[in-house]
Amino acid sequence: MPKSAYLLRWRVMDGLEALVAAIWPRHFHRALPYVMLLPAVLLVLLLVIGMIQIGDSSARTLDRSTFLPSDFYTAGNYQRIFTDGLYWSILWRSLLGSVIVTALCLVFAFPYSYLMVRTPSALLRKFLLIALFLPFFIGQVVRAYGWLIILGNQGVVNEMLGLIGVAPIRLLYNYPAVLFGLVQYMIPFAVLMLAPALTAIPEEMESAANSLGANWWRTFIHVVLPMARPGLVGAGLVVLTLSLTDFAMPAILGGGSQDFIANAIYDQFFRTSDQGMGAALTLILVGVGSLLVGVVFTLFGAGTLAMGRDRK
Amino acid sequence: MTNKTSILALSRRRFLGGAAALGGLVATGWTGKAFAQEPEKPAEIIVRAWGGSWVASLQAGVSDPFTAATGIAVRHDLTEDNEIQPKVWAAVAQGRVPPIHINWDTTTNATKSALRGITEDLSDLPNLANVTELAKPVGLEGYPIVNTYGYVYVLAYRPSAFPDGPPTSLQVLLDPKFKGRIALYNDGIGFHFPAQVAGGGKLEDIPGNMEPAWEFIRKVKEQQPLLGEDPDFTNWFQNGEIDLAVTISTNAREAMKNGIDLAWTVPEEGSKFETDGLWIPKGLPENELYWAKQYINFALTKEAQQVWLDGLGLPGVVPGLTPPEGLAGDPSYPTEPEDFKHLIRVPTAIQVEHESEWFSAFKSIMQG
Amino acid sequence: MTSQAEAVAPRSSLPVAVSVQKVDMTFDGFQAVKGASFDLAEGRFLTILGPSGSGKTTLLRMIAGFQRPSAGEIFINGVPVSAAPPHKRSIGMVFQKLALFPHMTAAENVAFPLKMRRFDANTIPERVKRYLDLVQLGPYADRRIHQLSGGQQQRVAIARALVFEPDLLLLDEPLAALDRKLREEMQLEFRRIQRELGVTTINVTHDQREALVVSDEVIVMDKGVIQQNAAPAQTYRTPANAFVAGFIGVTNFLSGKVVAVEGANLTYEAAGEAMQGHWSAPGAPQLGATVTGALRAEQIRLAASVAELSACQTVKTGVVTDAIFEGERIVYEIALTGAPGTVLRAFDHDPVTHKQFAIGETMAMGWNARDVLTFPN
Repeated sequence: MPKSAYLLRWRVMDGLEALVAAIWPRHFHRALPYVMLLPAVLLVLLLVIGMIQIGDSSARTLDRSTFLPSDFYTAGNYQRIFTDGLYWSILWRSLLGSVIVTALCLVFAFPYSYLMVRTPSALLRKFLLIALFLPFFIGQVVRAYGWLIILGNQGVVNEMLGLIGVAPIRLLYNYPAVLFGLVQYMIPFAVLMLAPALTAIPEEMESAANSLGANWWRTFIHVVLPMARPGLVGAGLVVLTLSLTDFAMPAILGGGSQDFIANAIYDQFFRTSDQGMGAALTLILVGVGSLLVGVVFTLFGAGTLAMGRDRK
Repeated sequence: MTNKTSILALSRRRFLGGAAALGGLVATGWTGKAFAQEPEKPAEIIVRAWGGSWVASLQAGVSDPFTAATGIAVRHDLTEDNEIQPKVWAAVAQGRVPPIHINWDTTTNATKSALRGITEDLSDLPNLANVTELAKPVGLEGYPIVNTYGYVYVLAYRPSAFPDGPPTSLQVLLDPKFKGRIALYNDGIGFHFPAQVAGGGKLEDIPGNMEPAWEFIRKVKEQQPLLGEDPDFTNWFQNGEIDLAVTISTNAREAMKNGIDLAWTVPEEGSKFETDGLWIPKGLPENELYWAKQYINFALTKEAQQVWLDGLGLPGVVPGLTPPEGLAGDPSYPTEPEDFKHLIRVPTAIQVEHESEWFSAFKSIMQG
Repeated sequence: MTSQAEAVAPRSSLPVAVSVQKVDMTFDGFQAVKGASFDLAEGRFLTILGPSGSGKTTLLRMIAGFQRPSAGEIFINGVPVSAAPPHKRSIGMVFQKLALFPHMTAAENVAFPLKMRRFDANTIPERVKRYLDLVQLGPYADRRIHQLSGGQQQRVAIARALVFEPDLLLLDEPLAALDRKLREEMQLEFRRIQRELGVTTINVTHDQREALVVSDEVIVMDKGVIQQNAAPAQTYRTPANAFVAGFIGVTNFLSGKVVAVEGANLTYEAAGEAMQGHWSAPGAPQLGATVTGALRAEQIRLAASVAELSACQTVKTGVVTDAIFEGERIVYEIALTGAPGTVLRAFDHDPVTHKQFAIGETMAMGWNARDVLTFPN
């Protein structure tokens, strides 16, 4: 038995290779990359089909005598959205909120990422990393409820204020509370997007700027910040789109009067059973979000999301 | 339509096969005895329910005894009523078996499904012979839904905040003392009609002219009310966030059970009275439909209602129930005609048609 | 000997630009630099040479101001600078990875220190142009850094470090990553620019050839201690100790016990053979002490027979264990006869006319006693 001279593992692998060759002939090999793309393409395709259906139902109004969508197309839902001040104010609140949250997140995430990347202390780095990842194990809803406990009228903060004789202050159920919750929720995302961009800036760059006469602040402004731009754009885009489409924070910390677009969509789908209106609002959200991302791309480039292509 | 004929076919077959057995079932209402000609039992039936004390009461009063009598397990699906609705609608529209056997639903929501024509007719339930008028849905043909109890959107308050006696009028909501300490449902449900009266309008003008209601709600908005859903009210009372709320008495009662000092009243403007019910979506296999109907039929027995509604603290649809402790004569527990004098009932059909306008008008004010 | 004296002579006649006095640097209990002291006269080119971990880079970073000495003081033009941050010092530095700013053009990089040091804005463009011309990059002023070749990037880095006319130029192994040809070209370029501008320069490298080629003075460091501070030729010819002898050039080491002393000449027993050597350390050799003799590969003369090497004081035979043809020379590894395990390395610098010995052949080696630099062990 000459074959027994080979390891069993080799023979198994040879057999497998022969099998693969039989069902996947060599001249098909060029198709392999496309085949591996297939799952992603299918996933996007499904989303597109979903969007087409949403587009279809957005063009049908609800008949309240049968609770069925109209069998003809109409712009009625869109008309209602654009003429009703309610939707304008919700849209404006979501947009303004996501921009403020993005700005604050970048401001807070930057020093955090910087310290995490640059600290010589392995212990501090570990601590910062754990503090970053721990919140990921606690869902958004749970975290929002945590804030209810901490910031409530009988919460920890008000208890402490009570100790110095301050009467309970309503910290929850207003716009700042929603923004606060969103910022706290989004900072880890921003740090995660920023840290690799900051790691890519060699420490030597800062030493060089120093030796060339720039103090800490001017080094930051003229060297670190411009070089971190891809990370800032990437982090900004992620936080912007996630905040714009957020549901839980406005729902839980807003006390019912601080709805974002997602809350308005939920109401239409699940509270007033008006899928057409919900679909129209959904498409508007998709449109506004895409527009915003487009504006950021045009102004600042695609950042880390360009996979290095536009960095020349 | 094909479903309907199949039920008839089933009934006929059952009749031909075992008229005596059927007769027995009708006569005794519910006996729990097994009959030879009964359709095959499913392993379980799925009942959508609200969580917390709501599902606990249903389980104690209806589901557990039903399982004990039939051997069919009951699974409670705690998906929100509003969220299960589009799922059921989609399933029926696509000819799939719906995800639940029975939906425990608000009468208004259930009516939307009935208008859509996706509910099974329940007129042949034997126990409907013994129920009060409250069980019959108004403005719908037959029994696409069966109402199982009523409830009142009371004005709940914290007695310690009212040293001079309980509030008597909704105008108390405008008292600067309670700025930021009042709560309403986030779509204003239960508040639109009393607000119409509080704003100086007439109930007869609903839905034609509701401007007085919106005027009053605009004033309430200045008071920065918290807006939420059932569990929120209980939380807010417990955490000392609010002193006043227009909510279903059950939520206030839940907070009371947790040791919070609370009381409620029907203000002089009146309170909205509503009902909840049970219904069965179309598209179930024949045998499962049969047992789902048996479940609802059982829910209409005096024994089941007594336990279930003790838990909820709400008035049922079977005469002769003993009120839960402390609720006899309570404004949230109306039983006699004069109890209903201060309660506002608006026909379901009008509510179903205009509800989303009212919600959106309320939201426009509150989100502005 | 006279040529060495010429190279070192002007030392005392110029003012001292940099003075390092008894500087220590300790990180977490590890002493990276121990008691380093030297003076560097204005306009001179000093190279600090040493293996990695020798403390040379730490010393440079302390001069630049990125690290503060644990003890001792550094003076630049007579002023103590330990407390001054880098941006307050007048020091141009070329970094190991150049650290050019990728978001700026070549000209913007060169203009950066002028802007940061608040030079008169009107003079900046002219000055940037002058320095780009100095490094022959005039036409590339508006290129982005990634559009320039490796050599061009080096030149931008030099121009940027010099454009503000610093008191001192520091080079932190900027040539380490280049290929050999480009590296040798840039070494000469550094030398040319340094001579042209007369800027005092401290270069750090582990490349002994670079140190010898570019410098006026070479400091050899090992284990945080300065081993020798001398002119390049002196470092090569008269290393201060066995480490320096071994670090510069290809050196054979033979250690053993001293058996006879005659002035600076001594005899010691290495690998069972008597060996003549020349005492190269302070003091006098002691009988019976263990010493190490350092014999450079190029000092060993090679022949087919012992007879041909009659001019040498010491002649040995050995068997070729390896012969590597490198073009301009042949490198032999030869196992010494009668001393198993002792292998000497030797060069034949005339591979064109000389016959190449094969592995296994026996050949003769010869040298003189003064070629064996002997140090205490």
